[in-house]
Amino acid sequence: MAEAPLRKFQATPANPWNRPKAAHLLNRAGFGGTPEQITRLAAMRVETAVDEVLNYEQTSDAAFPEVDFSRLRELYAAVQRARRERADQRTLRELANQINRENRLKFQELRANWIGRMIQTTRPLQEKTVLFWHGFLVSGFPETGASEHMAIQLDLFRRMATGNFKELILGISRDPAMLSYLDNNSNRKGRPNENYARELLELFTMGIGNYTEQDIKEAARAFTGWTFAGNDFVFLRNQHDDGPKTFLGRTGNWDGTDVINIIFEQPATARFLPRRLWEFFAYLSPEEPLVEELVGVFRRSNWEVKPLLRTIFQSAAFYSERALRAQIKSPAQLVVGAVRLTGAGIPELGLARAMDLMGQALLYPPNVGGWPKGQGWVNTATMLVRYNFSNLLVSGTMPGVGRQRPTAARVDHLVDAGRVRTAGDVIDQLVDRFIQSPLDGRRRWGLLRAFGTNREDTPIVLDGERGQEQLRSAVHLVMSTPEFQLH
Amino acid sequence: MSQGMTRREFIRKGLTMVAVGATAPSFITRTALAMNNPWDVAQVTSRPGVPDDRILVVVQMGGGNDGLNTVVPFGSDAYYRARPNLAVPQKDVIRVTDDLGFHPRLTQLKELYDKGAVAVIQGVGYPNPSRSHFKSMEIWHTADPEGRVVRYGWIGRYFDSKCPVCEQPTVGVNIGPAMPLAMQAESGMGVSLEAPEAFQWMPSFNGIGDREEQELFRLLNAPAANEAGTIDFLRHTAMNAYVSAEQVRGAVRAYRGGVDYASTRFATNMKLIAQMIAGKLPTKVYYAHITGFDTHATQRGIHETLLQQLAEGVAAFYRDLEAQGNADRVLVLAFSEFGRRVAENGSAGTDHGTAAPMFVFGKPLRPGLYGQQPSLTDLTDGDLKHGIDFRSVYATVLDRWLGTDPQKILGHNFEQVNFI
Repeated sequence: MAEAPLRKFQATPANPWNRPKAAHLLNRAGFGGTPEQITRLAAMRVETAVDEVLNYEQTSDAAFPEVDFSRLRELYAAVQRARRERADQRTLRELANQINRENRLKFQELRANWIGRMIQTTRPLQEKTVLFWHGFLVSGFPETGASEHMAIQLDLFRRMATGNFKELILGISRDPAMLSYLDNNSNRKGRPNENYARELLELFTMGIGNYTEQDIKEAARAFTGWTFAGNDFVFLRNQHDDGPKTFLGRTGNWDGTDVINIIFEQPATARFLPRRLWEFFAYLSPEEPLVEELVGVFRRSNWEVKPLLRTIFQSAAFYSERALRAQIKSPAQLVVGAVRLTGAGIPELGLARAMDLMGQALLYPPNVGGWPKGQGWVNTATMLVRYNFSNLLVSGTMPGVGRQRPTAARVDHLVDAGRVRTAGDVIDQLVDRFIQSPLDGRRRWGLLRAFGTNREDTPIVLDGERGQEQLRSAVHLVMSTPEFQLH
Repeated sequence: MSQGMTRREFIRKGLTMVAVGATAPSFITRTALAMNNPWDVAQVTSRPGVPDDRILVVVQMGGGNDGLNTVVPFGSDAYYRARPNLAVPQKDVIRVTDDLGFHPRLTQLKELYDKGAVAVIQGVGYPNPSRSHFKSMEIWHTADPEGRVVRYGWIGRYFDSKCPVCEQPTVGVNIGPAMPLAMQAESGMGVSLEAPEAFQWMPSFNGIGDREEQELFRLLNAPAANEAGTIDFLRHTAMNAYVSAEQVRGAVRAYRGGVDYASTRFATNMKLIAQMIAGKLPTKVYYAHITGFDTHATQRGIHETLLQQLAEGVAAFYRDLEAQGNADRVLVLAFSEFGRRVAENGSAGTDHGTAAPMFVFGKPLRPGLYGQQPSLTDLTDGDLKHGIDFRSVYATVLDRWLGTDPQKILGHNFEQVNFI
């Protein structure tokens, strides 16, 4: 009998639920676990572990400081006042400059705030899913000019992270950051702007090849008049084209909501998101029968994301050879995960800059297609940045980012000295923490030599300056490996 | 290698390291040997009469450049009817012929044109054009409008064809955060970089010492014979970076400067390319980016700024090459994934279109306008019909500039354009 492609993972003596698999769940559904967190999850049943990760609403999340946009709001109000009072050009220009400066400042603050959240959150899946949506329903600077709009969009993603996809598509279609990013705020009756309609179909819901150029033009007409004022969605009736439109074979006086309803009647729509989610959380180019089953789950739940995620995280395929330690970490994953692992106190703006250099500038996506994936993350430039990033953690500085802490970091907390007798013991602990799978003999030997020995059984004492230096080099080296780029 | 290790020393150490391993990864040996005399590698495969030191610089204008507001058909009433807000007024156009001219912000481009260093190829596109950024960019990068699944780019396939110096990672250098599909090669050759000062691996401070860490770094990253897939890709990328880093920074250090560039990102990247050329980096193809051409709304200010940045960057680069004495060796090819709709939209912008002009810059070309300005009244779905297939331009560059058989790279014969 052929196995169901998405059958649930069943622990057997030959294929147990164990630390490497618990580590895998924590990596993919969040930003990785410490050795202690991995041990805790490995002691549960797999269903319990998945539920704990998935039902994050039950975990109270520390109150994060919000970015304060009050000065920006005052500046916008001042501009409106100045316009009403017919102020001179110089005054208006000066206000516009102030707004630009303040937006740039707040934009950086928001990036730092989000990274801080990813690092500290007790609900890693929520922030991980926000990252997914940010790379999928893409908006960003500089096309979205207002920093507060990006904060509002991140909150939308956070609120609906694992909720209903159709509602999220409705939400994003009315989201100020998106409305300005894809120019729907100037999509008007008579002279439609196709930008949002095209990407809604191509990148957000159906995928290329499932509609015609004419469908795009008709959908653009349906979204005329959808714009925003301040931070709120508004529908401008006098700019809306309420004539008949024929979209995907259906004719009527459609507006944007009708278009979305019709989109969700298409078979292509049911197939689009499940594949993207699988590729983000598990592996690229999934087997077609597996996608088919996910599509069924998605359709039966009326476009709920959470049941999809549960199916993914409980599946045998998710814990198979194709998935385990086979994905290249995104820059956010690498940076946030490493900081969670090491507890290195680096200012978030420095971390954001490091991610920029690795090719993932948060809130500044390369284009509406979002981030690269898989091997697309890695080239000669980003590889060296990724390696040098470990120096930011251990030495407090790296090229392109500059010094972020005055002195080198202590690293002794990364090894439990009570369990160390030999050099091999130290390597075991470092490999367990950073690589989470065995390292081949020659590479292990390379790490041993950082401790001045060729032998596993050489007795070792980590106290003292020399021990710290050796450990610091070993930590930098273990993170400067291809193995550490995978999870 | 960053900490004062010489190239010779690296080669010795690199080979020693390989000897320590079970089998010698041929890539390391080849690379190490090639570094001794870059221009001696694979000479046998180059065509007699075509110098091996020619360089191609590809400039990608990302987002879909509005060709009609770049090379303006100011003699056409249809142009002014289609663009009541966005058309460039006749009096502002920099005239090139009686009915065509450059956008007023392209003065520096016109100066190059008057020097005989610009070829404009008009109405470039391909059959059944895609108006998706991603699909169309993929088509331009793979040179495959049939949309077959091609894993490597047209330049990458040139690297794979054993071009001179193709055994070295630096045969292709992309300035930017992601290697474009066009440059991706089966052989894995080609490097990406942004800031040369960040292009090196740094040992830790307060560790066991730079020299020791560097040695262990190579041990941990050396490719192994029995690996495949992602881990092998990562190791090769790491070693490509490691062996190229000193080369690149050495080349950049050798640059004397003296030419002023604008402070824009594009100009800065063009300057970096000029630095690497001055430093004799053994590179055949450089790749630079200027983005933001997706002007759906309030196009005017955005587009004219970009055009000015393009012209300034290319003009400064050309002056630099002349000062270096390298102008005869370098050809610049600028393209965008599509042009824009003939009629403006209601947002004072333009939506995705089709055919548009391509630009070639450099001393060693036959200047002028090539092809025809597509008709503004005989349209397909409101879009221009192309006259020249972009693969004809690629074929010309591959054959007449890089000295390789274009049919091998592109799969078919394409009629060439006489700009070289």
